[in-house]
Amino acid sequence: MLDLAPAVEVSDLRKVYGNKAAVDGLNLTVAQGSFFGFLGPNGAGKTTTIRMLMGLAPPTSGSIRLLGMAMPEQGLEIKQAIGLVPDESLLFDHLTGGEFIEFVGRMYGLDQGVARDRAIELLELFELDGSGKKLIAEYSKGMRKRVAMAAALIHRPRLFLMDEPFEGVDAVGARLMKDILLDQVRRGATIFLTSHVLEVVERLCDRVAIINEGKVVIEGSMEELRGVSDTLEDAFVRAVGVDRVAAGALDWL
Amino acid sequence: MNQARAILWAHLRTARNVFARGGVAWSATISSLWYGFWLVGSVATARLVSDPANLGILRAALTGALLLVFLYWQVVPLLMAATGASLELKKLQVYPVAPSHLFLIEAMLRITSAGEMFLLMLGLSVGLLFNPAIGHFAVPGVALYVALNLFLALGLKDLVARILAYKRIRELAFVALLMLAGLPQLMLLRPFVSGHGLPAKGGEAWTGFPWSAASNIIQGKDAIAALAVLSIWVVVAAAFGYWQFRMSLSFDAQAASSGGTRAARPKGLAERIFRLPSLVLRDPMAALIEKEIRFLVRSPRFRLVFLMGFTFGLIWMPLSLSRGGLWKTALGSNYLTVVSIYALLLLSEVCFWNSFGFDRSAAQFYFLAPIPFDRVLIGKNLSAAIFILLEISLVTVVCLFLGLPITALNLLESYSVAAVLTLFLLGAGNLLSVHQARGSNPATSFRSSAAGRVQGMLFLIYPIASIPAVLAYLARWAFSSELAFFGVLLIDAIAAFIVYRIALHSAAGAAERLKETMIAALSAGDGPIAS
Repeated sequence: MLDLAPAVEVSDLRKVYGNKAAVDGLNLTVAQGSFFGFLGPNGAGKTTTIRMLMGLAPPTSGSIRLLGMAMPEQGLEIKQAIGLVPDESLLFDHLTGGEFIEFVGRMYGLDQGVARDRAIELLELFELDGSGKKLIAEYSKGMRKRVAMAAALIHRPRLFLMDEPFEGVDAVGARLMKDILLDQVRRGATIFLTSHVLEVVERLCDRVAIINEGKVVIEGSMEELRGVSDTLEDAFVRAVGVDRVAAGALDWL
Repeated sequence: MNQARAILWAHLRTARNVFARGGVAWSATISSLWYGFWLVGSVATARLVSDPANLGILRAALTGALLLVFLYWQVVPLLMAATGASLELKKLQVYPVAPSHLFLIEAMLRITSAGEMFLLMLGLSVGLLFNPAIGHFAVPGVALYVALNLFLALGLKDLVARILAYKRIRELAFVALLMLAGLPQLMLLRPFVSGHGLPAKGGEAWTGFPWSAASNIIQGKDAIAALAVLSIWVVVAAAFGYWQFRMSLSFDAQAASSGGTRAARPKGLAERIFRLPSLVLRDPMAALIEKEIRFLVRSPRFRLVFLMGFTFGLIWMPLSLSRGGLWKTALGSNYLTVVSIYALLLLSEVCFWNSFGFDRSAAQFYFLAPIPFDRVLIGKNLSAAIFILLEISLVTVVCLFLGLPITALNLLESYSVAAVLTLFLLGAGNLLSVHQARGSNPATSFRSSAAGRVQGMLFLIYPIASIPAVLAYLARWAFSSELAFFGVLLIDAIAAFIVYRIALHSAAGAAERLKETMIAALSAGDGPIAS
């Protein structure tokens, strides 16, 4: 039964900071095996939502089910089944890339030898093997994203939660990462990602939700969104209602 | 347990990687000196306790010594706002690790919050092991007492850290905490009555206290009953610790520190104070100082330490009052100076030992902005001086308000000595800020470093910086003259200014050379265990 359950099922989710709702009654269902894009302008509530899905922030109200399991009641089982590409602050800067990937593997219960072997293979796959002795603190932004994604793969998760995985990644790295993610979806994994790079989302995702002020304002397949507007960018701008700054507003500029 | 091993493995790798790349020599030296001193104490304890001839001393002093260990373990980390190494729960809780495993690791890490006491207890255990006159339960008794302290320290740390995370009640909670922290000192200074934990002359302490129970186990007095009492205490402390740990795991610090959005208020008193540097200085110096003041005032860590400037007075006040004769001693006649210097020492940690650590992202801006780097350092030093002056003035006002016998000469003395010491420390601070730059989190109220390292700084480094001021006091004593005192202090001030200038230019030059290393060091985060 669990296999038929949605990968992500969120009902009436709210997160309130002080007297401001960062996420305000969010409802979302993501089928297993899909490549789902979660978009929104800055401050819309994307990162807060993904932090709640990852179990890093408890919701004020509402419910979260991942792969048919309830969060936080089945938190350990859920964590075992998901792979995370969180924001960069969750990396350990004073470990090398290989050491970090090995550490993550062991945290997911892999034997130390297996974790070490897989870490070496993942470093090769993500073309980080040349930076073996470098600390993560010395990595560029793109390399940090690559190592985070490599670590997310080590235990073969069924669901990936990714916060801006392509931020700061060069074209070669982005192509590499996209190919790996598409391969994971072909193998039945689900990907839930946030991104500001709309071209990437347009090319990869089969479904998209756009969030603004804590609420989903539009959701559908890529075809449905393109039916409303020519491009995803047009749909995005229309959905979040951006006003352009009038030319000449800043005379001194 | 594989995950626990993985966390420790990653921590050791982190320590090795940091050590291999240098930059830890300063703190390693301080820690070695400080803990080396306590290691000597531990060996001395072992030797004393292992000799059956010293049983009399053991009987007389053990309960009191165990109470002091308890107080040191639980209170000192809070007073120093440095609770020792801790798991980086924010980073670790995304992984499927059972909370009970994390709890046990975190409990073990409480050893680092009072490593000095752990060393002493280790010495005590070794001594007991080799003393043929001591029963078999003694060492397990010590182990239980250590476990009690670990669990309780964990619970208290998590409880206090969570309370201090709430934006609106943080400072209020801290004042309450200080009052509570002062209680043990009050208890210790009062003529002790039976029932408060220590035996009155010829009497017995109540056996229900954990330190009394541990003492009785070690001495073999009703050992089984005492073992039962201590075990109950350990279970209660473990339950409290685990409860607090679970609460911390599900705690959302971001939500707690959010005060909500408020409508913009008209320019108030605070805004006018922030703008004060612009009245007397020109930009960019005024802008630099204004930025520093705004940033520090909004940093929970700074606010906590600033409040702690009063702790010395608040905690030592009962001592002074309870022993009327104290005002006739050197401590009494230099009370204001001592309190002021303590406030200065506390502020130094947030104001100048690691000037760029708090506002780490600004360091890059300073290198990019069209300002000479020595001007940046001067701006930071002036901001620090403003807060030091403010702190000492507030301490003075409190002392005067309480009617303490403080003369105009006392005032002049405390401000002059503080000024000379500040100049020397600022010079050293600028050099350290550049050569030992390290990122720190201004949003957390407590440091994750061991309290011992902070104390090591206080007790090992500051005496060296205080030598010139000590010379002034020697001159006063030798010549029985205030003129001699202030004369030497004036020479000290000139020397301090020269030292400061040399250190400033040296630090600015080094910053230019080391900027890449500095920025990398300031950007780096912690490993799975923050220490």
